[in-house]
Amino acid sequence: MEKWICVICGYIYDPAVGMPDAGIAAGTRFEDLPEDWMCPECGSPKSAFEVYVG
Amino acid sequence: MSASNTPARIEIDGKIFNPYSRDFIRSPWATWDRLVKEFPVAWHKDLSMWVVSSHDALMDMLKDNRFSTNYKHWEFAPPPKPVEQQNHFERAIDAGLFAVDPLQHLRLRKLTMPAFSKPVMGKIDAKIRDLITQCFDEIGTPDQFDAFSMIAEKLPVRSIARMVGVPTNMESFFHDFAVNVVKSTRINLPLKEREKAMQDTLPGFQYFLDLIKERRALPHPGEDFVGQLVAASDNGDSLNDYQIVSVIQAVIVAGSDTATDLHTYAIQGLLSNPDQYQLLRQKPELMENAIIELLRYGAFGKTPQFRFVSEDLEWRGQQFKKGQSVLINLTAAWMDDSKWENPRKLDIQRRLDGNLVFGAGAHFCIGTYLVRVQGGLMIQELMKRFPNAELVNGNGDVEYDYNHHNARRINRLLVKTNVEAARKAA
Repeated sequence: MEKWICVICGYIYDPAVGMPDAGIAAGTRFEDLPEDWMCPECGSPKSAFEVYVG
Repeated sequence: MSASNTPARIEIDGKIFNPYSRDFIRSPWATWDRLVKEFPVAWHKDLSMWVVSSHDALMDMLKDNRFSTNYKHWEFAPPPKPVEQQNHFERAIDAGLFAVDPLQHLRLRKLTMPAFSKPVMGKIDAKIRDLITQCFDEIGTPDQFDAFSMIAEKLPVRSIARMVGVPTNMESFFHDFAVNVVKSTRINLPLKEREKAMQDTLPGFQYFLDLIKERRALPHPGEDFVGQLVAASDNGDSLNDYQIVSVIQAVIVAGSDTATDLHTYAIQGLLSNPDQYQLLRQKPELMENAIIELLRYGAFGKTPQFRFVSEDLEWRGQQFKKGQSVLINLTAAWMDDSKWENPRKLDIQRRLDGNLVFGAGAHFCIGTYLVRVQGGLMIQELMKRFPNAELVNGNGDVEYDYNHHNARRINRLLVKTNVEAARKAA
């Protein structure tokens, strides 16, 4: 599964880890996050993310 | 709506909030608490600007593009000049992240992000570790030392010079460059002072433009920070010289001038809370959280940031006029007790979700991971060298630079090392 990076703050969403503290289970793909989901670091919308190649 | 139905403007003055007063600089908490609770959004009659102070209002404002970061939207901004008449400073500011429109801003952030991402910043660790060791070697093992002059004034500017790939013996050059860049756009300073500062930035801009030119002439621009910016590309898109230099100057400003306060206030925060200092020693995995909490707790900004109203609008019951300026009073929000339980308590294990320590939204601090790496390394070394350190006389005989342009700048903080006592006890 692809990781996604927030181009504003550099936060990397790793679907393998998810965000268990925020109720997002490990294994949740970025595409399956709610449309109103926001970057936990800077509050940017999903549209500020792109696939992370690192 | 008739004029009589328009809610009255909520106003404050220098008696309620004077960010330049000595009392405020030494002890801002009661003022911030009052602003947050009674005047979260208010027009400051003496400063002639809006002041926004509560957490929830600032969270909204920071994500609202109508409140622009572009200084050119200010009613008192200098008139625009044709490009051919602009100097390097003006061209870099116009090309920079605070001046371009939202779409262009996202494009610039996308291009620059690889140079600032967490993995890349993690590698900075190896590049600056020796500077930290050297800084603490210079301190040695005295009974006491001044954390401002021995650490905060030296380390950030050396680290940032190393990061952008310039000689560390140009420390004062970079420090002056950073201060002058900040002063050039601080709307709270008199026009003459801003103009002089702008002129004084020009040698620094020229230095970096020459460096970029050199890198472009190489077969490969290099793996360091400047090299990454020169090489940055996305679907054939790349950064021009002024865009690169605007990013470099932003990093220098944040990484030297602002980071100076981070270092002093982090030491003050930890040593005035010995339980937290010992907890961090025991659990170094808390470092990243600790740094954000130390920034929140220290709250060293006195006039943190500004925005400019780009169109006439009503917001939170107040009428904002195009061209007016807004003081984004972030440090007050960091102490907002409707967001933070017991805000004046340092708790390095605090859940910091939704914090505004690095701002929020499109202009979230680009150097956030750099700050964490740089601050983390310094604290690690402090804990290693001086595990039993405390502040002299309980407050480090703290002194402030009351004339600093935007921070509650501490310019003396005496640390008692207790190294000799530990040696004798052993």
